[in-house]
Amino acid sequence: MQDSDFERLLSVCRLRLGDGEKAQIKKDIDSIISYFSTIESVDTSKLEPSYHPIEIEERLREDRVEPFENPDALLKGTKTYRFYVVGPEI
Amino acid sequence: MRSASEPKKQRKEKVVYPKLLRELTKLNEELHFFTVINDNISEGAPFSVKDNLCVKGFESRAGSKILKGYLPQFNATPVERMIAKGFGFLGKTTMDEFGFGSFGVNTDIVARNPFDEKCVAGGSSSGAAVATAVMKNHIAIAESTGGSISNPASFCGVVGFTPTYGLISRYGLIDYANSLDKIGIMARESNQIRETFDIIKGKDGYDSTCVDKKLTALKKKKIVVIDQLTNGVSEEIKSTFQVLLARLENQGYAIEHVSFDFIDKAIPAYYIISMAEASTNLAKYDGYKYGMQYGDFTKKYNEFFTNARENFGTEAKRRIVLGTFVRGASVKDKYYTKALKVRTALTNKLSSLMKDAFILSPTMPITAPKIEEARKLSPLQTYAMDSLTIPPNLSGFPHVSFPYAYIKGMPVGAQLITSHFNDYALLDFVSEWEKSFEYQFKHNL
Repeated sequence: MQDSDFERLLSVCRLRLGDGEKAQIKKDIDSIISYFSTIESVDTSKLEPSYHPIEIEERLREDRVEPFENPDALLKGTKTYRFYVVGPEI
Repeated sequence: MRSASEPKKQRKEKVVYPKLLRELTKLNEELHFFTVINDNISEGAPFSVKDNLCVKGFESRAGSKILKGYLPQFNATPVERMIAKGFGFLGKTTMDEFGFGSFGVNTDIVARNPFDEKCVAGGSSSGAAVATAVMKNHIAIAESTGGSISNPASFCGVVGFTPTYGLISRYGLIDYANSLDKIGIMARESNQIRETFDIIKGKDGYDSTCVDKKLTALKKKKIVVIDQLTNGVSEEIKSTFQVLLARLENQGYAIEHVSFDFIDKAIPAYYIISMAEASTNLAKYDGYKYGMQYGDFTKKYNEFFTNARENFGTEAKRRIVLGTFVRGASVKDKYYTKALKVRTALTNKLSSLMKDAFILSPTMPITAPKIEEARKLSPLQTYAMDSLTIPPNLSGFPHVSFPYAYIKGMPVGAQLITSHFNDYALLDFVSEWEKSFEYQFKHNL
């Protein structure tokens, strides 16, 4: 992978790596991707992808309100304003 | 459906908690298998919970710095069901960050093997296996994505059971890869696993992927050995495994060796799928909603988010990068969709082999390595260690690892696999095995 492609990938991932970590991950990435490519040799021409290993029937629940016993507890450990979680500016 | 064979009577002793807690705390200082011990426990048979399952009021951070301080306000369903049956919650067990590892070293608290403290305990459910190996009458609730139960169970000499995908609710699990994650159980005996399995499995209104199927206990008299799997194991494991096969043959099993030409492609297919799913799952840790508070709200969102993500470990970052890459629009069909099709091919082939047979292999290609040796392995060398545990995990087949030998004092496990929903047959098999094989332990708290 070219350095520029790797930098773009990091940007898409929203990851900033230190020099040592960047060198470490970059060093392995080509060999891992090359290893991933070996699955091409399996004949899957007549097969569908398995998004899950078993069939799971669609099970939808009734849309109803269930009050949580202690909503304040859910906000513990976060910065809050009234009953909102405070976050960074978008 | 309960199994046909009569289970061995389980040993139940009243637990004297102050004594157990004292001894456990002391041993934990040496072996590092609990992140948190519940000092308030006073009754009920003890069970531990892997750190990626939520327990109300106890820090649950899945081995990651980014979730430091996260205190769930609810119990994961398996935890809730154990407590409702009178079991006592003993503590949270150590693990590789988010389950990303085979040796338990990708985290800040590295568990040590109770048979040799210089060696790894396995991964990612490292602490769960150690806790099981050092305590009598204890149950560990663990989780497997690509072998995280079988692997440490083998290295620590305990029984590790991973049921069919979907049988145990994942409500309250800090997820790694949703199409692969499975809650499972470790114990010193199969009958403890059976009892726990019956308590925690079954439909759950909080998890729409949880299945509620009638389970079977269809005993197979044939054992299939896939030669490509056993060819790659160390010579000493190979020779003990041959002894195991001979012993099972003497017990009346027909042993059949088969060739499976693309079984080695299970590893890359697994890592593509698991990294793709992990890279999206980890996006929710943004530094202000859960756990660690980054707190500098003067930054714009993208910078804030990027700064917060510096707190992931190196392996987590590597998986985010690779998982994001394989999902890219220009390569998605080549990697991600192809891997999903390889999963179909693998599942079909394994299913055909298991129509009238179990599949058996060693659980791991080596005995537990030294911690420093494990740290020196490259990512590809580490991923290759999962060659035996990935196939059933990728296809969601139930499997169990049980101790069958000791090499230079270190335990060795074998892994038995069966068809979807034939879970009880595995526990019956191990129950029979336990009648003629005595497991060894160095600690008996």
